[in-house]
Amino acid sequence: MALFAPSHTSVIPKHEEILRLLIQNADPYVIPPFYLGLKFPGMVLMLNQIKRLMSPMLLLACISFNPFLLGSPLPGSEQASNFTYHSNVSEVRLVFFAKDEHNRPIQELQKDDFAVIDDDAVIRNFRSFNRSPLTKLDVVLLIDSSESVLAQFKQEIAEVQRMISEAPWSPEDNLSILTFSGVEAHILCAINCRGSFLPDQLASLPAEGTTPLFDALEVATNLLTQRRQPDAWPVIIVFSDGDDTISKSSFRDALREIQMNEAQVYAVDVNRPGRQSNGTAMLQRFAIDSGGRWVGMGQGSAEIFQEVIDDLHSAHVVTYPLPDSNSEFHSIRILPTHNLKLQFRCRRGYYHHSSTHKKEEGL
Amino acid sequence: MKKMSCLLVFFCSFPVLLAAQIGIYQHGTVVRMHMGDCVSAHRGFMVAFGGPAMPASEDVCPEYTLVSPKVVYVIVGKFSNQLIPLAESIDFRLHNNELAVRVDDARHESKFMIKEMIVRSEWDRVQRHIQEAMNTSENRKAERVDEQ
Repeated sequence: MALFAPSHTSVIPKHEEILRLLIQNADPYVIPPFYLGLKFPGMVLMLNQIKRLMSPMLLLACISFNPFLLGSPLPGSEQASNFTYHSNVSEVRLVFFAKDEHNRPIQELQKDDFAVIDDDAVIRNFRSFNRSPLTKLDVVLLIDSSESVLAQFKQEIAEVQRMISEAPWSPEDNLSILTFSGVEAHILCAINCRGSFLPDQLASLPAEGTTPLFDALEVATNLLTQRRQPDAWPVIIVFSDGDDTISKSSFRDALREIQMNEAQVYAVDVNRPGRQSNGTAMLQRFAIDSGGRWVGMGQGSAEIFQEVIDDLHSAHVVTYPLPDSNSEFHSIRILPTHNLKLQFRCRRGYYHHSSTHKKEEGL
Repeated sequence: MKKMSCLLVFFCSFPVLLAAQIGIYQHGTVVRMHMGDCVSAHRGFMVAFGGPAMPASEDVCPEYTLVSPKVVYVIVGKFSNQLIPLAESIDFRLHNNELAVRVDDARHESKFMIKEMIVRSEWDRVQRHIQEAMNTSENRKAERVDEQ
């Protein structure tokens, strides 16, 4: 009886309280052996001795009765397995490109080298940061065959042909070719144009009619969206002067479609170099706002395609929780946290439909 | 010539080094950034009561909300590409009605105009209020969607 000394009795309620809480709140089949021992008051005071002898046995007993380890169903576990837990995760997933002061892709970029500005909010805590899992290209080549490009059309076609035949395509890459003139876009060939396409088809194209550029961009975006694959990077390479003359869609409609469907536009400006036109400004906006690039046709098709390939291989992906905002459109920008010479490029924004409480993520 | 250039470098970097050594830098975090109108250095009494206004510049300048333990500053760059590193903690000091931010680990400072200043506790209170208002608005939207 001397074992029930006051110093010990004060301990018992404390442990029992812990035990009570554990039994109330936890699954009884996963209570640690130590607390199973405490459940019986007689064992409490000899705990140290008992622990040495009994612990392996208790552990064995616990394992024997643990349904998770045995895999045997428990009464009521069938009912529990019928539950499906749903959770809405509001997360932004952003693909971006980083270059150093010499315009070379950064191979060793770290998570704390940059911050994302999402609708003015500075975000530094990311859920994940990785190299992009994109491994192949899904390209739609849009060729402006309207009257307005008549003077440069031969060169435009020559560059397109060179890009198809000479660029370092990977065997898994997809290429579709569309032309646009008159009132709509026309599909010349889809998905596997590199194998099936005949150069004569391009050479015989007439340059005539109006310029439905915005409609053509929407058609190209929808084409990419229909056959979307997780490891394919949707790219639109558009050869045009940028002067839309007839589209049903507006510039904003086309840009919105591109941004919502996460395509990237590489605009090849067929206007004469050094001449700033409205069309050039349009092409620049499409390229910059989608995270792509704008280049002059004088740079050559090899250079243009190399830009695409470089981007594919140097892309990073970052994810972060969706910041609060009242607007449907979130503008995004990436800026350095330490080295101000680093340059980052990504799409300029994404759409989020808060009214449905679902995340329409953008890249 | 070499000595001269060494002296020149020393005197140029002296205020920054001195400030760093004395420890007069405060620490803060940039929590918001957007491109807004550039604040004219001459804005004020003379502009308001002077002659015809100068044509407004269409340039946009970066505007940062810098949160320090006691005061929150809204600062504006003087030109469009005046960026500050967005690290978790940046060093800054007040200097001649401007806010000087230490850039690139004390190599140099970048000076910004102070657009607004607010006591931290007051700013926190306003932020909580905005957050509550947004949560309420989101809940209402969700309820409306559920009803539909």
